[in-house]
Amino acid sequence: MQLTHHTPALQDTRTHLHVLFLWQRTYLDEAPACDAEDAAAVRSIKACSSIRLQLTSPLDAAGSLCEGIQDHERKMPRDSLIPSENDTDIELDFAGEDDFQEAHERKKHRGQRRDTDREKKRRKNSRRKEASSSADREKELQPRHKKTERSRRRSAKNEQETKRSKRDEEGRGQTTRRKTAKTKKNIKNEKTKKTDDEMEGEAGERNEKGKKKHGSAKKGERKEGGSEHVAKEKTQVKKKKKRHKKVVETSSDQETSEEGDDEENANEDEEVRPESLSPEELEKLKEAVDEKKKLIQSLRGKPWLMKKKLVTLRESQEFVEKYEGALGKGKGRKLYAYKVMMTKRWMKFQRDFENFKTACIPWEMKIKEIESHFGSSVASYFIFLRWMYGINMILFGLTFGLVMVPEALMGRPYGTIPRKTVPRAEEASAMDFAVLWDFKGYAQYSVLFYGYYNNQRAVGWLKFRMPLSYFLVGVGTVAYSYMVVIRTMARNANESGIGDDNSFNFSWKTFTSWDYLIGNPETADNKFASITTSFKEAILEEQESRKDDNIHLTRFLRVLANFLVLCCLAGSGYLIYFVVRRSQKFTLDGLENHTWWERNEVNMVMSLLGMFCPMLFDVISTLENYHPRVALQWQLGRIFALFLGNLYTFIIALMDEINLKREEEKIVKFNITTWEASLYNGTVSGNFTAPPVTIHPADVPRGPCWETMVGQEFVRLIISDTMTTYITLLIGDFLRAVLVRFLNYCWCWDLEAGFPSYSEFDVSGNVLGLIFNQGMIWMGAFYAPCLPALNVLRLHVSMYLQCWAVMCCNVPQERVFKASGSNNFYMAMLLVILFLSTLPAIYTIVTIPPSFDCGPFSGKNRMFDVIQETLESDFPAWFSKVFSYASNPGLVLPFILLMVLAIYYLQSTSKSYKQANVELKKKLQMQNEENKKKNKRAALKAQLDLEEARKEASQAGELQKNNNASIQSQEADEENHSRNPRIYHGRNGRGPPPFTDREPSTRGPVSRNYHHGNLSTPRYLPGFSQQSDPTTYRASNLQNP
Amino acid sequence: MVSPAIALAFVPLLLTLLIRYRYFFVLFYRAVLVRVWRDCVTGLSREERAYQYVLTHSTPGDPDSILDAFDVWCSKVEYISNIGPKKGKILDRLLMEQSPLTVLELGAHCGYSTVRIARALPLGARLYTIEMDQGNAAITEKIIRLAGFDDDTVELIVNPSDEVIPRLRSDYNLERLDFVFMDHWKKCYLPDLQLLEGCGLLGKGSVILADNVLFPGAPKFLRYLRKCGLYEWKIHRATLEYSTGIRDGMAELIYQGIK
Repeated sequence: MQLTHHTPALQDTRTHLHVLFLWQRTYLDEAPACDAEDAAAVRSIKACSSIRLQLTSPLDAAGSLCEGIQDHERKMPRDSLIPSENDTDIELDFAGEDDFQEAHERKKHRGQRRDTDREKKRRKNSRRKEASSSADREKELQPRHKKTERSRRRSAKNEQETKRSKRDEEGRGQTTRRKTAKTKKNIKNEKTKKTDDEMEGEAGERNEKGKKKHGSAKKGERKEGGSEHVAKEKTQVKKKKKRHKKVVETSSDQETSEEGDDEENANEDEEVRPESLSPEELEKLKEAVDEKKKLIQSLRGKPWLMKKKLVTLRESQEFVEKYEGALGKGKGRKLYAYKVMMTKRWMKFQRDFENFKTACIPWEMKIKEIESHFGSSVASYFIFLRWMYGINMILFGLTFGLVMVPEALMGRPYGTIPRKTVPRAEEASAMDFAVLWDFKGYAQYSVLFYGYYNNQRAVGWLKFRMPLSYFLVGVGTVAYSYMVVIRTMARNANESGIGDDNSFNFSWKTFTSWDYLIGNPETADNKFASITTSFKEAILEEQESRKDDNIHLTRFLRVLANFLVLCCLAGSGYLIYFVVRRSQKFTLDGLENHTWWERNEVNMVMSLLGMFCPMLFDVISTLENYHPRVALQWQLGRIFALFLGNLYTFIIALMDEINLKREEEKIVKFNITTWEASLYNGTVSGNFTAPPVTIHPADVPRGPCWETMVGQEFVRLIISDTMTTYITLLIGDFLRAVLVRFLNYCWCWDLEAGFPSYSEFDVSGNVLGLIFNQGMIWMGAFYAPCLPALNVLRLHVSMYLQCWAVMCCNVPQERVFKASGSNNFYMAMLLVILFLSTLPAIYTIVTIPPSFDCGPFSGKNRMFDVIQETLESDFPAWFSKVFSYASNPGLVLPFILLMVLAIYYLQSTSKSYKQANVELKKKLQMQNEENKKKNKRAALKAQLDLEEARKEASQAGELQKNNNASIQSQEADEENHSRNPRIYHGRNGRGPPPFTDREPSTRGPVSRNYHHGNLSTPRYLPGFSQQSDPTTYRASNLQNP
Repeated sequence: MVSPAIALAFVPLLLTLLIRYRYFFVLFYRAVLVRVWRDCVTGLSREERAYQYVLTHSTPGDPDSILDAFDVWCSKVEYISNIGPKKGKILDRLLMEQSPLTVLELGAHCGYSTVRIARALPLGARLYTIEMDQGNAAITEKIIRLAGFDDDTVELIVNPSDEVIPRLRSDYNLERLDFVFMDHWKKCYLPDLQLLEGCGLLGKGSVILADNVLFPGAPKFLRYLRKCGLYEWKIHRATLEYSTGIRDGMAELIYQGIK
């Protein structure tokens, strides 16, 4: 029984020690979350230690604990201010022990001895003192034994003290107070220590007075060595003092504690003998630790005040922290400390790594900043831009690495063959800037365009199959794009999940309308205003939907708006058609006779229309009075139609031009044959044996090469588009902002708030610009391999430029809205554009034969013949045979059929899953409602019961009341007040209160108290006794709001 | 030579600008073009024309009919930036709530707001109205007399506001202004407010109402209000007088003094 009495006292001492220890470890305050992980890490150690504890005797266990505490103490100075001297201090400790043992040869075999020690302990755990035969061990054990005896005596004396501490363990609140008081004391002690440092000489006496508590914490361990030990250590310490003056901080402390030991040990109230821990107590300790851990885990769901939660969390974390280690042996404890340190390091590393990862994502910080200022809809554009950049990087890598570089390095150099030489007629102006800007002259006869590539089957020492590579890269870029877009779409579709429920409009608005990424006060104001207006509008809408009279006007306006937009589209389409026809006329006339304006008419008109028409659509869309998210989608759709119209008009014009070029080519081909014939005739007539006439490649007549022409057109379009975008940005945003900002000083009205104001960021226009730009890249990349490179450049520049422009010249939108679902809308548009842009490319590749004298496929009937050629010449015969069989329609058709069937099957299964989902949802809702009803009924019943109970209680005698009062007082800090009456009732109406029979009689009040904290679920209340646990919980949750 | 097709491509831009800023174009037409044309045709100033109209279309001695005549003329015939009927209601309400005894009006223009304020004043209250321009002041005088207010109720001071305000205490024995209405040059809002503060004419609870703080707008004034902390203030949002699409606001300030 005495042993059990010891436990609280021991714990108190430990608390003391531990608080000291913790006081220096501030990481608990910094990252409370990591403690849970610490605990998890330690759990394994604890498990090991518990096994070991079962094996060893109580005394041994106590000894191990004692060692543990010693370690703890050793660790303490390590945490203090002077690390280097502390290490020596630890050495000193070991030295002291060794001196005490008086055996120099043992020093060498210390580890061995310990092992044997342990074995012996295990063998003779009941009669330890008698069994230990060797003198040194007796010496070692004797003081320990004395200690235990002394401590028992003391504990008997201080029974009241221990009882008090027991109660402390019971009521956690009290413990906290005491603990905090102790920490305060310790802090004071630390301070006094520092001052004592300065006055070294008097340190001994002063410390004796000032640090009674502090010393007492260490006495438990210090006493282990007898007086001999003390004396020797003293001398050691003095030597140390001479060497390092600052060591005194800790060593003098130890000294004083030992000095004060003899005089004061009777008065010490928190003195404990750790050896006195029995296995039951350890078990109990373990259980307590487990319970604390459970408490930490379940704390989040407790219906307590945050303050209380925090206090409890901190407390239980401290508790766990302390005893997890205490349960281990000395070695385990070291490991524990090491593990804690490592977890701390690991956490820090992880945090740093996260930061590093964020820093590695390009432009992440910029986008976040923009998001905080302008809301997520603007940020979504920049995220899309970044995504696009990534795609284009890969496309660029493919074309650059597999097409352009091999041709430039390994193909024939410039000037060797006609297709790689500037013709004689253009040579004079080939280096002019105007010509180069139009991508003619030297730019045309370079790797940038299709026509430059040679039809040589293999180039360089690598035997690189150039035409094949060209074809496969062209196909691969498109295939890769399809793959990426579809994959992203599928991922986004998963995320979006359930669509908007219109049935809870106001709830949605109340709980989800805030954009938590906003970090700018102005935007926050705007958002606030927009939420309020949206509420007003929603209320109005609700009223109107009940009135239902204005719907016709709205419908009319919407139809009118769409009509106007259609007119606009038709007008712009006609204008482009007109311009294209005119430009064809100009081309027939000869471009040199016309001005720059007329030559660039098509691009100019297309860019201008693409710029201005969306603005008009925007104005028109105010008629419709849609929610901005819906309005954005409409706007996107309209601009999409416009751009598509423009693009296809352009493509049709290109097709006409291709046909013209092909006719020209026929003529040229005929001319060349006659020219060659004349050449041969000339040579033949001259001298039979003379070498064939070498003609400079620049002089050789050549065909028009329609592929290069198409590539040039696309490049020009991209360039003019980019220029228009940048110029619009500079004039429309920057110049306007500058004017508004600085003219406002001397203008007669407020420019900033009123008429011109600053511009808003146009999300839809920019997104569509990006998408169509990408479409043009996909279309033209086959004929101009430089296009992805150009696009990467453009995207890179526009990322910086637009980020800057947004932050410096734009104001947040008046109606800031979240763009949660719009990302997939962008993707869908991208997919459509991808499809529409691959159509013409594939059409030209499949139907039109390549030019006869330029490009990698020259001389072939169709471009894809290159695959057949490769199969025939580069692969073994059986492979081509297999391929021809596989490409047999008899095999291909069934395969396609199979694929269609598979798609159909998958689709139908997904549909059925969806249906099942919907039904489950319905069921859930039904169940919810049922539960609600049930809950209500139960609550009503409980209320009735309660009233009855009250009546009974008022009639009942005083005895019962007293009983109840005592229970209530026990429960007061754990349970809600509302529950007390119910417990009350349970006692009166339905027999014994549920928790009394749950209580194991052997368990001390500490754990019992804790258990009650855990049982906060209303399972034990009579009113809810019929229901299962989770349903009650959810029902109560539902009731609360 | 720019080709016609490129010029045609600018049509959507023009349309956009026209539609988006249509109210401003209408305002420009009514307030500037019509005014210049009528000035040339009639040889009278705008205020005089308005006075003639009011004289012929209202009952003398009846402030309401005078105000109505003004409203009709400003919305149907020509444009004068009076406070207008909608914002006038806010002014009326504030006056009814406060029932101030000493009222200062900065910028009488042609007397519309003067009549409006004087109409809502309690018995024994006095309105000081300041007008800088001589011609406008003459019209204002006539309008006030037409509405039937005498010198005891309305005192017209013909001088720039920055000259008058420092002398208010000495020349007119004013201790405290209960209500100040500002509708003169938007640039003078801030200096005049600071003058009023400096002269100590504002007491705790004095109300200052400033018109047209959003359009044409007094940004410096609003910035000062946000910063100084002397006032409890809010902006009544409305549209510009005699126009529907242009947003405007009146700032209502309640002087709190230094706490």
